[in-house]
Amino acid sequence: MTSARSTALRGGLMTIELRGLTKRFGDVLAVDNLSAVAQPGQVTALLGPNGAGKTTTLRMLLGLVAPSGGTATFGGRRYIELPDPVRQVGAVLEASGYHPGRTALDHLRILATASRLPKDAPMRVLDETGLAEAARRRVGGFSLGMRQRLGIAAAMLGDPAVLVLDEPTNGLDPPGVRWLRGYVRALADEGRTVLLSSHALSEVELIADHVLVMAHARLLRSSSLAALRAEAGVGSRVRTPDPERLGAALDAAGLSHRRTDEGVAVDATPEQVGELAALHRIVLHGLEGTADLEKAFFRLTQEPHPPVERPLTAEGVLS
Amino acid sequence: MKALLDAELLKMRSTRATALLVLATLVLAVLTVATSVPGVMEENSSISLDDPDLLAMMVGNGFGAPQVLMTLLGVLAFTQEFRYGTVTSTYLGEPRRMRVLVAKGLSLALASVVITILTLAVTLTLSIALIRSQDGNVTVAAQFWQTVAAGFVVMAAYGVAGVAIGALIPNQIAAVVGVLIWMLAIEQMVIPLLPDVGRWMPFAAASSLMQLGPSYGFFDDQLLPVPLGGLVLVVYTAAAVVLALRITPKRDVL
Repeated sequence: MTSARSTALRGGLMTIELRGLTKRFGDVLAVDNLSAVAQPGQVTALLGPNGAGKTTTLRMLLGLVAPSGGTATFGGRRYIELPDPVRQVGAVLEASGYHPGRTALDHLRILATASRLPKDAPMRVLDETGLAEAARRRVGGFSLGMRQRLGIAAAMLGDPAVLVLDEPTNGLDPPGVRWLRGYVRALADEGRTVLLSSHALSEVELIADHVLVMAHARLLRSSSLAALRAEAGVGSRVRTPDPERLGAALDAAGLSHRRTDEGVAVDATPEQVGELAALHRIVLHGLEGTADLEKAFFRLTQEPHPPVERPLTAEGVLS
Repeated sequence: MKALLDAELLKMRSTRATALLVLATLVLAVLTVATSVPGVMEENSSISLDDPDLLAMMVGNGFGAPQVLMTLLGVLAFTQEFRYGTVTSTYLGEPRRMRVLVAKGLSLALASVVITILTLAVTLTLSIALIRSQDGNVTVAAQFWQTVAAGFVVMAAYGVAGVAIGALIPNQIAAVVGVLIWMLAIEQMVIPLLPDVGRWMPFAAASSLMQLGPSYGFFDDQLLPVPLGGLVLVVYTAAAVVLALRITPKRDVL
């Protein structure tokens, strides 16, 4: 996949910094004084419900939307100040950014020509993203998943040190999501800085090292995924042929629980649940630990919060 | 700038729409020229088959549809980018948007040269054949060469102005419909009905530059003098470009 490329990043490692970033559309405050850092070698996820301000934040970062206040930089430079920006930053912002009557190869050739990239760059990225066979097909006939891959191919044309992805799994089928996870992970492992937005916690859980939780135009939390997990507390998922007896035993032990499609979710460690089941001689078909990130996410994004005020450094992420 | 210009030319070449528009325009140019030959339509009787400026007039009339085409191609150069969202990748590749605007303007100016040559090839061939078929005199007078030269200037100006209009009105339907209503309805009504106002409009200025007064039922002195017509056309184009250069860098791409 990425082994064909040089892993010595041409532009060097690059940190993304957002400082007091603010955007107001008339009376609507879309992004409110957002400060955060995304580090090289990490996948940083901008996580939040629809309308949180994620896309506006990414567009300000890329110079497509003018901030009302604050700055967004790559290695200390605004996007417009980057020499040969496509060689330093790759971005996927929308799956509809293609002329339907143009072939995938022509779409990439146009981008490569404008940025003076090598002539073989379009075929290289089409090959990497599994679209080589569709190179001469018109994009209008592509599935949404193929368009997402083409977007990633376009972002990787300049072999950049930074990748910015807006809702990259939208429209991808499960194999596509798995492919994307692996691809993005490999890019971060090469030392690249990856910043992606998502409204789906389940996806972020599997990709991100660091999360920036946004809601109502504000940054509510900036922490490693491990820290968020620890804060969320642990739970268990149990499968049993006798859920009524298990429920009664859990009630008697004062452990809260609820039925789900996958069995019974319990707010207790797997050890506690296993011992309780053994004590009551209840047969279990499955028992696994879960971190209830989803609950923590909803708690974060749906309750009113004061703005996060944390020291910002280029060396370390907000904590 | 050369890389951006190459990319813009590739954008034009890589969809079928451009070729189809050019083809349709040439067909319209043929129809215009075919109905310009004296004897075919009554209103063409203002010029005789022996007039030394007949060839210039017929070829000049043939530029009507291509003028509309050049404007539309210019408008589409920007509005298609907004419609399909490709403006995002264009601006990511070159975040200095003024350079993108200039590259698009230059690409349309270059395209106008090709389309003008195609138009001339078709209209000149047809005009000569039609005049000869009516036993008229084919005379390549000085005005013919002036009309040809003016054709190149007018086509480039309309293409560049179209780019500026597209940059100012990103909504493709609004921009295309607006341009068509202006060129095919408003100007065509105002120029003959209110000549004191109409002579200052872009189409009248272009017509004066191409010395087409008689073919529109005007005496030459009802249109602006040729140099002034050329100047008015250049001022309109420059004004649109300056406005686009001021607004484009500030517009949010959502």
